[in-house]
Amino acid sequence: MKLLPIILRRQLASYACTPSTYLHIAVFLILSVTLGRYVSPWPEQNSSDLQVFFQFHPWLYLLLTPALATQLWADESSAGFLGLMKTMPITTYEWVIGKFLAAWLVAGTALLLMFPLVIIANYLGKPDNSVIASQWVVSWLLAGSYLSVGCFICAFVRQRTVVFGLTLGLLLTASGLSAILDALEHQAPIALIDSLAALSPTLRFSNIDDGKLTLRDTLYFISMILAFLTATTVTLNYKHS
Amino acid sequence: MIEISNLTKHTGNTTILSDLSFSATQQECLGLFGQDHTAKTTLLDLLAGSTQPSSGHIKIQGFDIQTHALKAKQRVGYQLSMDLGHPTMSVSAFLKFIAAVRGLHGADKRARLEQAVARLDLFAVLNAPLDALSIGWKRKVAIAQAILHSPALLLLDEPTEGLAPDQKHSFRGLIQSLTQEMTVIIASRHCDELSEFCTRALVIAGGRLVADTPLPDLQRDSRHFQAVTLAADTPLDLLALAVLPGVAGIEEHRHAPGTVTVLAMPGHTIYPHINTLIASRRWKINSLSLEPGRLNDVVHHLSQEAPR
Repeated sequence: MKLLPIILRRQLASYACTPSTYLHIAVFLILSVTLGRYVSPWPEQNSSDLQVFFQFHPWLYLLLTPALATQLWADESSAGFLGLMKTMPITTYEWVIGKFLAAWLVAGTALLLMFPLVIIANYLGKPDNSVIASQWVVSWLLAGSYLSVGCFICAFVRQRTVVFGLTLGLLLTASGLSAILDALEHQAPIALIDSLAALSPTLRFSNIDDGKLTLRDTLYFISMILAFLTATTVTLNYKHS
Repeated sequence: MIEISNLTKHTGNTTILSDLSFSATQQECLGLFGQDHTAKTTLLDLLAGSTQPSSGHIKIQGFDIQTHALKAKQRVGYQLSMDLGHPTMSVSAFLKFIAAVRGLHGADKRARLEQAVARLDLFAVLNAPLDALSIGWKRKVAIAQAILHSPALLLLDEPTEGLAPDQKHSFRGLIQSLTQEMTVIIASRHCDELSEFCTRALVIAGGRLVADTPLPDLQRDSRHFQAVTLAADTPLDLLALAVLPGVAGIEEHRHAPGTVTVLAMPGHTIYPHINTLIASRRWKINSLSLEPGRLNDVVHHLSQEAPR
């Protein structure tokens, strides 16, 4: 894992050099605030947290995550550069984790840029900052799990539009799982519905409405990230062999 | 130092390389020739560890490329035939990134970078984006990244492609100096360009190694070995040339009237006889050259003869 920081720095530099990164972060922030402000009038609620702003994140990540995922292998879009990287003494794990962490840090930065809301909330009332911190952490974990899915899709296809479309489609399916479960409520066994509900990231995300960050939910997101990153590494190793 | 034994590579139902075995020591410069570009590139890819062999072994300084991939990769520098490209990175940023990946840091990294940039004379393009460079410059950057970490084995795939004639001249000097430090394997379709500095020739045809021989021996197999090319303003007496002892035939150059190549029979030297004839007939000769043998012809011939 010696080369992981080098891959991470290179990927962060790649994001920093790409105007679309700033554009997508800006769109994400604007939509977060706008939707939170107008759909649920937060100041009137006198809420002690920022749930109104975080509640749309599972849907807003459907825009931000595919955009960040398409950038993951942008450096290697040139066949010459990709071929050269294969000859370098880098393990696939370092490569995948380095790139994923960079994308996750960018998503974290987008979340950190919501700090004016925390200042305003503290100025207008007495919010529970520990609840806000938990909401921030869970939102970041959700972004990580979505990005790991994007990372996995990138292992199969390199065309940006296809990566974007597939990631969006897969995440949309995951996000819409709760709607499917509602429809199946009377047609399928309860045990099956409960099992599927336990897999839905949006349902997990909605569990933190009250700001309680449970170990079970945290482990769910972390295990999802690890599972997809491992699948990405195995796929890339197979392709290279 | 480098040992390749029974190397085979299949892709699908196609056999690209079949049962290749050879070894190379330090300070050797091997020319990898053959008309099948895919086979040559695949061999270099296997040596660089970017693809896995179907069977066989590759050892670089004792490290097997399959079992000790990272250690073996650290000892190899590879200039790929594919053009380097990157949407945002400059040449300087690219070389710094490769140096970091190669484990160089601090003063050592700076010194190696300066050395590579100076050797390839990249000062003029250091701040230019990779994508904006011409093919020739991209080749030079690719060679610079390959020698940054002073590898034990340097692999060059069509290194002179896109280089201007003066750049090719300085490239020759560079390869000669690199051969003093490491083992160099150069794959090229322009065999004759490499004849000055390659010590050994490997010819691949039909996926097999059909020749592994010192380069002068391969040149000796050319029908142009010891041939003499003459150029004159007035037509030459071809019959007088043809009856000289040891002359096997005469080729007239269609595109250069007045220029002929006199071929020598194997084991015969015709240069002194031609010189004597020129002096006795008082021909006004513009140029007279003794050919070392045309490698391209020999490689073409070997490729045609190889079983498919």
